[in-house]
Amino acid sequence: MTSRRRWSWLLGTVALVAGISLMVAAYGVAANRTKAAPKHPQAFGTLKTVLDTIDYLDPQQAYTGQSWWAMWNVWETLVTYQHVDGAAGYKLVPGLAQSLPTVSANGKVYRFKLRKGLKYSNGKPVKASDFKYAIKREYLSQGQGVGFYTDIAGALNFSKTLKGDIPGIQTNNAKRTIVIKLTKARGDFLTILALLFAAPVPAGTPNTDQSTHPIPATGPYRISGYTPNVGFTMVRNPYFKPTKYIPRGNPNKVEVSLIGDANAATQRVSSGQADYSNGAIPPDRIADAKSKGILKLRVTANTYYFWMNMTVPPFNKLKVRQAVNYALNRKTMQTLVWGGLGAGTQNVLPTTYPSYRKLSLYPHNTNKAKQLIQQAGANGAKVTVWTRNVSDAVTAAQYYQSVLNSIGLDASLNILPRTTYYTTIGNVKTKAQTGWARWLEDYPHPLDWFDVLLNGNRITDENNNNYAWYSNKTTNKEIESLKKSPRLTPAVNARWAKVEKQIMQQAPWAPWSNRVFPEYFNKKMGCIHMQRLYGVDFLRLCKK
Amino acid sequence: MFVFIARRLLGMFAVLIAVSFLVFVIFILIPGGDPAERMAGKNPTPENVVNIREKWGFDKPFYVQYVRMMQKAATGILPGSHGQYDVLRSFQNQTNVAEQIKRGLPVTFSLAIGAATIWLFFGIVVGVIAAVKAGQWSDRLITTLALVGISLPVFWLGIVVRYFLTEKPAHPLFPDGGYYPFTKDPVQWAYHLVLPWFVLAVLFIGFYGRVLRSNMLDVMNEDYVRTARAKGLEPKLVMTRHVLRNSLIPIVTLFGLDFAAVLGGAAILTETVFELHGVGWYAAQSVGDLDLPPIMGVTLYGAFFIVFFSALVDIVYAFLDPRIRPA
Amino acid sequence: MAEPATELQFDSAAALAAEEHEVAIVGRSPWYLAWRRLRRNYVALGSLGVFIAIVIACALAPIYARHIAHTGPNETHASESVEVNGKERPIIAGGSVYNPKTNTFKIRKVTILGPQWWHAGGRYALGADNLGRDEAVRLLYGGMNSLMIGIGSALICTFVAVGLALLAGYHGGATDWFVSRAFDLIWAFPVLLLAIALGSALSINGFHHFGISISPGSLWIPTIVISIILIPYVGRPIRGQVLSLRQKEFIEAAEGQGAGSFRVMFFDLLPNVISTVLVFFTLIIATNILTEAGLSYLGAGVRLPNPSWGNLIASGQEQLVSAPWLVLVPGLALVVTVLSLNIFGDGLRDALDPRSKTKVER
Repeated sequence: MTSRRRWSWLLGTVALVAGISLMVAAYGVAANRTKAAPKHPQAFGTLKTVLDTIDYLDPQQAYTGQSWWAMWNVWETLVTYQHVDGAAGYKLVPGLAQSLPTVSANGKVYRFKLRKGLKYSNGKPVKASDFKYAIKREYLSQGQGVGFYTDIAGALNFSKTLKGDIPGIQTNNAKRTIVIKLTKARGDFLTILALLFAAPVPAGTPNTDQSTHPIPATGPYRISGYTPNVGFTMVRNPYFKPTKYIPRGNPNKVEVSLIGDANAATQRVSSGQADYSNGAIPPDRIADAKSKGILKLRVTANTYYFWMNMTVPPFNKLKVRQAVNYALNRKTMQTLVWGGLGAGTQNVLPTTYPSYRKLSLYPHNTNKAKQLIQQAGANGAKVTVWTRNVSDAVTAAQYYQSVLNSIGLDASLNILPRTTYYTTIGNVKTKAQTGWARWLEDYPHPLDWFDVLLNGNRITDENNNNYAWYSNKTTNKEIESLKKSPRLTPAVNARWAKVEKQIMQQAPWAPWSNRVFPEYFNKKMGCIHMQRLYGVDFLRLCKK
Repeated sequence: MFVFIARRLLGMFAVLIAVSFLVFVIFILIPGGDPAERMAGKNPTPENVVNIREKWGFDKPFYVQYVRMMQKAATGILPGSHGQYDVLRSFQNQTNVAEQIKRGLPVTFSLAIGAATIWLFFGIVVGVIAAVKAGQWSDRLITTLALVGISLPVFWLGIVVRYFLTEKPAHPLFPDGGYYPFTKDPVQWAYHLVLPWFVLAVLFIGFYGRVLRSNMLDVMNEDYVRTARAKGLEPKLVMTRHVLRNSLIPIVTLFGLDFAAVLGGAAILTETVFELHGVGWYAAQSVGDLDLPPIMGVTLYGAFFIVFFSALVDIVYAFLDPRIRPA
Repeated sequence: MAEPATELQFDSAAALAAEEHEVAIVGRSPWYLAWRRLRRNYVALGSLGVFIAIVIACALAPIYARHIAHTGPNETHASESVEVNGKERPIIAGGSVYNPKTNTFKIRKVTILGPQWWHAGGRYALGADNLGRDEAVRLLYGGMNSLMIGIGSALICTFVAVGLALLAGYHGGATDWFVSRAFDLIWAFPVLLLAIALGSALSINGFHHFGISISPGSLWIPTIVISIILIPYVGRPIRGQVLSLRQKEFIEAAEGQGAGSFRVMFFDLLPNVISTVLVFFTLIIATNILTEAGLSYLGAGVRLPNPSWGNLIASGQEQLVSAPWLVLVPGLALVVTVLSLNIFGDGLRDALDPRSKTKVER
């Protein structure tokens, strides 16, 4: 070939190679971009929510469902719950731990290992000893969850002296191990560890409420600011790495306003100023709200009931307690109190539990109720019904008082301030006869109900939760025995169902409703998922 | 003069102490639930309750607790951040009471100043017209309306107005309650406050109108007015220079005290009905919860305004008229 | 015609009058004159009539409840139905429905029985409330409670205020200083807060100290608290009046005659301030009724389930959309009652004041 031809051939080849490589590079870049895009397609700017109230934003202090709704994605615990819908949401999975713990044969020793490379939202590493610090902080800051952890060896002593160490927790920062020794086996210990009270916090966090000085976070979000009674904001935690069980969240920022008035909160969402409100919409306005937004109903594990103090007359007589159960028209009560958004019940446990067997021991029969009162000789007995100053409790209690009067008792009503109600009826000196109460599950285990509310061995003179002062040797023994079983096998569940039936035959309570809570969304919202325990999963919300 | 002012101020201080002490004693006497138990929550250990009691000083005798509470109240006013136990903190969620009151101030002040301007203006207008046209049908009409105004329960009026003007109509004329900060958007701020202003003012307009009318009629019958007219002074001039000026003096006293009361959070019902989170609203919440530290904070705040304005009015009076020296 | 007098004799006024009118004219006391003025004020009398009619209607509440409505004020009939013009209508109907099979809810409104007037044989004349109780019965019983508290607290307030004002005005000096400071204290006191707090707190156990025993939920608690609020409001002007009367000669004369302080206060000073007191009393009843309504609305006055016009409004607020009459009716009852008192109070003041305000010399 001539030199010119050689040059043009060379030039052509170079051009071709360059062109092809350019195309390949361009394709590669384009492919990467399209691959990168689906990584987080549902991310969006700001989620504006309205909550009715929270108590604290400090993991060792907070004890309300609303606070936990936000906080379970801010401070992770060793084990946590899955971000899935339905019953699977109750299953415990590893959170900060690498995997579920190994439990000793006698059920008293739990061994964990933390994941590698965990960091707080301020960049500092998460140490195994931080878990022990959190438990100690729970006691030192007089947190509301102290009662859960007293079975850890040395914890009871520590709670008395507030000095020294808790020998039952041993940690090794280099190996990232945590070993917890219990004084006796507890079937629900893992669920207690999933409570936010046990969320590790950096060593040195002060022993006073830090809600307004947000503690560094370990979850997908961190609290960036909190103004009490006004609102708080959550932003992404830059040091969070998503795991198999904990996804990255969709909203970049979550702005929460605290608005107590249900109407105002609902209006915010209908008018588009907010995306989601958890407030209880008054039954009067629910149909209207439904037309202006997306209304979802959340089934949670709750039971509303009237307790009857078995140590004071007239409720020390079984017939009187049975009469009360016969006299209540549970169907009407759902309409009166929540406009129908509840299901009547005669059980202690709500339907979400695998051990639930529907009890119908007391079909509505006013005449039978009157007869029983007559037979028990309780006609005209003076009864004071106690309730707390919240709209639905007042409505329910007024109905209850009227029913008691209609079957032959002489009932009057005593409405207490919301904040002092439980401590007053839980004090033995008050000798409260009967009143309103409700229980929302802390964690999904029957022990959270039977052990706390109906175990005779756990009755205390102050801050008592067993308002019926119910103590029965048989059921007490069975509850203690069931405490040791770590897993809810069908056999264990059958035993729980039997205990429940035995208890309801003694009728310390007149349960009447499993309430359903409205969750209200703006029409623009999509991907609405309910986590069984924590409610609306804001991580997974998206905009349509 | 200075001695008089000093005595008045000292009296003011004494009343504040007396009011706060009385409130404190009442709360200690009446059963309201042990604050330690309340703080301990649903699932405490007995040790927890004891610890809380010690840390917060609930086990000390009541006079010690009172002094400590006053110290905390004073510290709370100072700027800067404060320790857990240095300032008044709610028994319920340990929020800083002074901060909460400060947060409610702009709302209450906005409500008070706006409503006060409206009621003073319209009250005077109503009173003057009624007095000038005394005995005629316009007087009767205005007087009757004024009477209706003072017969309305303010919370009921608020509920009815709020529902029928803001919630029911498909295209509401007014926003449904809530407060919009002035610094954010002055127009929205005023728009959200128009209804609360008028509802709060209605009561006072009626009252002030009647008082002014009565005073003016009194003055118009006085000899010196008759003299002025006999002298040939223009009736309008007689009205303004002699009658109105003299009739307004008692109005000023009343206004001073009423304005002080509303600033001090007395408009509890209006703030509650219209979801205005001011000091009055905060007071209603904490009283409903039997939460002593906020109650004490709000009490001191409100009493201060009333006592201060009362002393101010007295001093101004004494300054204007040497004959008047209150006991 | 009298016989011609032989001496120059002046007939007495009575005799002259007797000639003219055939009846003796007697000097009239200012009370009688006031009564005559009041008598001519038809508006004021009409208002008084309205107020008295309301009081009587509320006093007859138990009779209405027993014989016409056949229910008590606190009895719920939520699951029952009532016969209207021959048809059975449920008292509370509707509401969302739960389907246990699909575990879903169908959202529906709750319908509360509206005012039936006379169509249901006297029952539910003004409809039902959110718990299925008879609103008309509750209105009447509520009126009874509101009026008892309003009038009772006005009596206590006036009595105490006048007593203190007389003492302070008459004795002066240290007594006056103490009473004036007491007035200051009460005036600066956040009495509304106190009323709410006391109302809530005393409801737990009542008050059992110093030999007095008040059960929780007793009407005495709001009555006493409300009566304290306006003591300075009545006391200060009366004290002012007493102070100026104190200087007058007739007091000097009485003292000179050796009258004790009690006698002077009661028989000389008091009658001269009584007209002011009467007017205040009427107005204080009106104010206290409104205050009690406000307290009950906040939950600190009459305790549920016992009705009061104020807490009827609070209970009805939740049903404002579907049953607005539950809020409107008690409110109107309050307005009409208070207005009638205010109109009458105005008329009373005009009658008692010899310088009638509506007559201006032009």
